[in-house]
Amino acid sequence: MSKASGIPVKRALPSKESTLFKELLQLYETRNLKKGLKTADQILKKFPEHGETMCMKGLVLTHLGKREEGIEFVKKGIRFDLTSHICWHVFGLIQKGEKNYEEALKSYTQALKFDKDNLNILRDAAQLQTQLRLYDALVETRNNLLKLRPNVRQNWVALAVAHHLNGNRKEARKILEHYERTLKNVPDYDIEHSETLLYHVQLLEELEEYTEALRILDVSAKERAIVDRTAIMEYRARLLTKLRSDEAEHAWRALVEHNSDSYDYYRGYLSNQGLSLDQPSPEALTILKEFSSQLPKAAAPKRLALTISTGDEFKELAKPYLMAGLIKGIPSLFADVKALYQDKLKEQAVEDIVTSARDEFAKASSDPSSSTAAGEPTSYLWTLYFLAQHHSYLGRPKEALAILDEALTHTPTLPELHTCKARVLKRAGDYLGGARCLNDARLLDGQDRFLNTKCGKYLLRAGMIDEANGIFGLFTKKDAVSPAVDLEDMQSLLFLVEEANAQRQNGKLNLALKTYMSISKVFDEIQDDQYDFHGYNLRKFTINIYLKLLTWEDSLRSHPAYITAAVEASKIWVAIHDDPSIVTAITSSNGLTDAEKKAKKKAKKAAQKQEETKKTSTTSTNEDKGLESTPQKDEDPEGLKLFTATDPLERADKLLLPLTSLAPNNVAVWIAIYDVAIRRKKLLLAVRALNKARALAPEHPEVHLCIIHLKQTASALPQTPPAPIGDVFSDSLLKILPSEVSLETFNSQYLQRHSMSASAIIAAAQGAHKLSAPRQEVENIVFTALNDGVDLKVPTALATIAFLISIKSPRVDEFRSACDAKFELSTVFKSSEELTSLRQRVLAGESEATTATEVIP
Amino acid sequence: MNIRPVRVDDLMGMQACNLQNLPENYTMRYYLYHAMTWPSLSYVAEDHKGRIVGYILAKMEEESAEGDEPHGHVTSISVLRSYRRLGLAKKLMVQSQEAMATIYRASFVSLHVRKSNRAALSLYRDTLGFTVKDIEKKYYADGEDAYAMHLSLKS
Repeated sequence: MSKASGIPVKRALPSKESTLFKELLQLYETRNLKKGLKTADQILKKFPEHGETMCMKGLVLTHLGKREEGIEFVKKGIRFDLTSHICWHVFGLIQKGEKNYEEALKSYTQALKFDKDNLNILRDAAQLQTQLRLYDALVETRNNLLKLRPNVRQNWVALAVAHHLNGNRKEARKILEHYERTLKNVPDYDIEHSETLLYHVQLLEELEEYTEALRILDVSAKERAIVDRTAIMEYRARLLTKLRSDEAEHAWRALVEHNSDSYDYYRGYLSNQGLSLDQPSPEALTILKEFSSQLPKAAAPKRLALTISTGDEFKELAKPYLMAGLIKGIPSLFADVKALYQDKLKEQAVEDIVTSARDEFAKASSDPSSSTAAGEPTSYLWTLYFLAQHHSYLGRPKEALAILDEALTHTPTLPELHTCKARVLKRAGDYLGGARCLNDARLLDGQDRFLNTKCGKYLLRAGMIDEANGIFGLFTKKDAVSPAVDLEDMQSLLFLVEEANAQRQNGKLNLALKTYMSISKVFDEIQDDQYDFHGYNLRKFTINIYLKLLTWEDSLRSHPAYITAAVEASKIWVAIHDDPSIVTAITSSNGLTDAEKKAKKKAKKAAQKQEETKKTSTTSTNEDKGLESTPQKDEDPEGLKLFTATDPLERADKLLLPLTSLAPNNVAVWIAIYDVAIRRKKLLLAVRALNKARALAPEHPEVHLCIIHLKQTASALPQTPPAPIGDVFSDSLLKILPSEVSLETFNSQYLQRHSMSASAIIAAAQGAHKLSAPRQEVENIVFTALNDGVDLKVPTALATIAFLISIKSPRVDEFRSACDAKFELSTVFKSSEELTSLRQRVLAGESEATTATEVIP
Repeated sequence: MNIRPVRVDDLMGMQACNLQNLPENYTMRYYLYHAMTWPSLSYVAEDHKGRIVGYILAKMEEESAEGDEPHGHVTSISVLRSYRRLGLAKKLMVQSQEAMATIYRASFVSLHVRKSNRAALSLYRDTLGFTVKDIEKKYYADGEDAYAMHLSLKS
C-alpha cells in the first residue's frame, strides 16, 4: 500500500492546498507567524474542516499571544481529525507550554500511534517522560531513537542515561562502553568527550568497580581525553581511598595543594588515615599544623585546628588566630569562631583572649608613641565589635550595647557597628530600634546593596512594610511595577518570606497568604526549569551534573523557605476553615490605611503604564510570544481570590504533600498535616501525622494541643467510623491517651511537668480554654508565664497576648505592661501612641551617630 | 571559609547571595544554564553552617564575532559584605581562572562592571589584576555604561 492511499479522505488536500499546507509547516518552523496565519486561512477558506490546518492555525495564534482563540482552534482541529499525528503533536505542544506534562505526554503518545518513527515527537516524549520520572517508558523511547538514528552520538549516551535513571547501571555501562568503542579519531581537548568519560568513571564508581574506574581515569587523563584537572584529582583521591591504596594520601595532598581552602580536601586527607574533623584528635591536629606551616596563605587548616584542639593547645592556637583577625579588621571573625562555643571552655578562652586584647589595644591607642599594628585605632574598634557580638550571642544585650556605645563614640561612621547594634536590639525585642540602627548603617554607605537589603529586612521585622518596599526600591529595577514585584520576579526568597511573615504579623492574612503562595510558585518555576535541560545536557554531554540536577530537583521543596510557606499558608487556610468570619472581616472592610490606598493606586498606575508600553511594542504582529502561558497581569492583587477559595483544606493538603517525604523530621510540618487531615475527616492520616510528630517531640506544646483536639474531635463524631478504619482509629486513640485519663487531668499534668516553659504554659492555657475552663482559670495559667525562672521570650509573649485577645480577656493590658517591664529593651509591648512616635524615628536617620557625638564633652 | 567547586544544591544560595549584594540579578534558570553548560567553572565560599557567603558564576565565550580566542567570562562575582577582607573574591577567582585555562584553554577572562560602581571596579583592578579594555555604551538595562575588563591567563 502506497503512503498516499493511506491518507483519510478528510485529510487529503488537492495539490494546490497540499503545497500550501507544506508551506504553512515551513512558515511555522521559521516562525514566520503572520504569513503562516494567512496561509492557514487560505486553506481553511476552501476546506473549513481540515483538522491539521486548523490545529496549525491554533498553534500559530498561540504563538502570536492569542492563546484562548488558538486553543479553541486546536481542539476543534483534533475533533475533525483524530488520527493525525500533526493534530496530536500540536495539542501536546500547547499542553507542554501550559506545563501540563501529564496531558502533554498523553497527546504525544497518541501522536506516536499514528507516526511511530517521528524523531521530533520521540524526542519531546523523552523529555516529558524524564520530567515525569517515567523511566521505564523513557528507556523505551531512547531505545527507539537510537534504533532510528544510531549514528547520532548523543542517542547512545541518552540511552545509557535512561538506563541509569531507571536503576539499571549495568546496562548503562554496557551501552556507554559500546559507544566508546565505536568512536574514532577524537581530537585532544574535546570537552564533550571529556565529560562523557567522566560520566563513565562516575558510573563505574557507583557500580563499585573502583579498579576499572581508576584505570579509565588514569588512561584518559594521560591521553588528555579528560581535561578537567580538578575533577581528575578528586575522582582519583576518592577512588584510591576506596581501594585502600597507599597512593591515596598523596592524591589528597595534591588536592590540598591545588585548593588549600577546601575543607573537603582536608577531610579527605584525614579520613583516609582514619581521622576525623568532628572531634578532638591530637593526630589530626599535628597534620593540620603541618599543613598550616606549609601553606601559610591558607585559612582553612588554621581554622580547622581550632575545632579539633582542646585545653591549652586550643588557647595557644586561638590567640594568634584571633589577634590576626582583630588587627586585620575581619568583620566575620566572630561569625567564624562562634561555632566553637559549643564547648564552654573554648567560649571562655575566646572571651579571655579578646578581652585582654581590648585592654592592650586601648592602652596602645591612647599612647601616641606606639606605632605597632596593635596601636592602630581600628584594631581597638574591631575588638569592641567582636566583644559586642560575643555578649549579644550569649544573651547579654546590655553589655553588648554598652560596648557598642563606646565603639560608636570612637567611630560613628563604621556601618558594621550600626548593624551590630541593630541586631542586638532586634534580639532583645526592639524591632523598631533595630530597623532604625540599620537605616543609620545604610545611610553611611548608600551604594551598598547588602546594607540596603538588611535594612529592608529589619523594617519588615518591625512590620513597616511600605517603608521596607521604599528602601528595597532603591536597588530594584526602575521599570518594575513595584520593588516587591521585581524581587518576586527575581525569586528573592529572603524577601518573600520576610514580607509574608510581616503581613501575617500585621493581620493582613489575605496578603500573607498570597505571598506565601508566591513562594510556592518560585519552587514550581524551578521545577519547570529543569525541563529544557533534559535535552540540552545530552547535547552538551554534561551528564554528571545533569544527574545531580535531577536528584536536586526531586528534593527541591525541602528548602526552608518552602517549608515555611507551606506550613504558614496551611495554618491560614485552617484558620479560615475554623472561623469563616476571618474572611468576612477582611473582605468587607478591606481595611486599608490611606498610605496603603495611595501605594495601591501608584502600583495600579505603574502596571497600566507597563501594559501600555507592552501593547505599543507588539503592534508588529509577527512577534513570537512562545507557547508558555505567562499571566501578564496580577489578577488578584489583594490575595482575596485565594483567601476566599472554597477548597482551603484541599489547597493546604496539596502544599504539604511533598513535605511528608522531604521534611520527615520537622514537627511543625506533621502538626500542619494533622490539622489539615483531621478537618478533612481523614482520620487515619491525621493519627499517623500526629504519631509522627509525637515520635519527634512528644512534649511539644503544639503536639499537646493536637492530642486534645484529636480526642475532642473523636468524641464529637456522630458515630464510630466504619470498619476497618473505625477499629484502627480507636486503637490508635487509646495508644495516644488511655481512656481512663480525662483530658482535664492530661492538661494539668502537662502543665505540672513543664511549669518553667513559657510555651508549654501557654499551650496548657489554650488546652484549658478548649476544655471550657472558666476564663479566670485560663488567665491564671497564662500569668504564671511571668513567674521568675520561666523562660518567657518576646515571641512567646506576643503569641500569648494574641491568645488573651482571642478569648476577650480583660487582663490583656495587664499582661502587656508586665512584659514591657520584664523586657526592658523591647518596644513591642509599648502603647500604640508610643509605637507611633518610635516608628517615625526609624527612617529619620543619623539618630545614634548624632547622640553619640554629642556625648563627647 | 570553605572554597569549593559549585554543586547544584548551591545555586539557590548563590542566587540569594547575589540578590543580597548586587543590583544585577538573575532567575534560577540562568544559574542552572551556567552550571549545566560549564559545570567546573563556578565556585562558592561557604561558612560553617553551609551558607553561601561568596561565589563566582562564570562561563566561556567560545565563539566570538571578531575571531577572538576562546575566553572565560565572569557573569557575576560577589562576597557578602560581612565576609570581606578574607580575600575570598581573589581565591574564588583564582580557582575559576585555572579551570578556564586548563579545561577550555581560555587565553583571557573578561567581565563587565558598571561605570559608577567604584567599589567593584577597585576590586577587579587592584585586587584581581584586571584592566579596562573598553567602554560599552548603555550596556545595562537602565542605560548605564559598562567598563569591559580583561585579565590575561597566559603566564
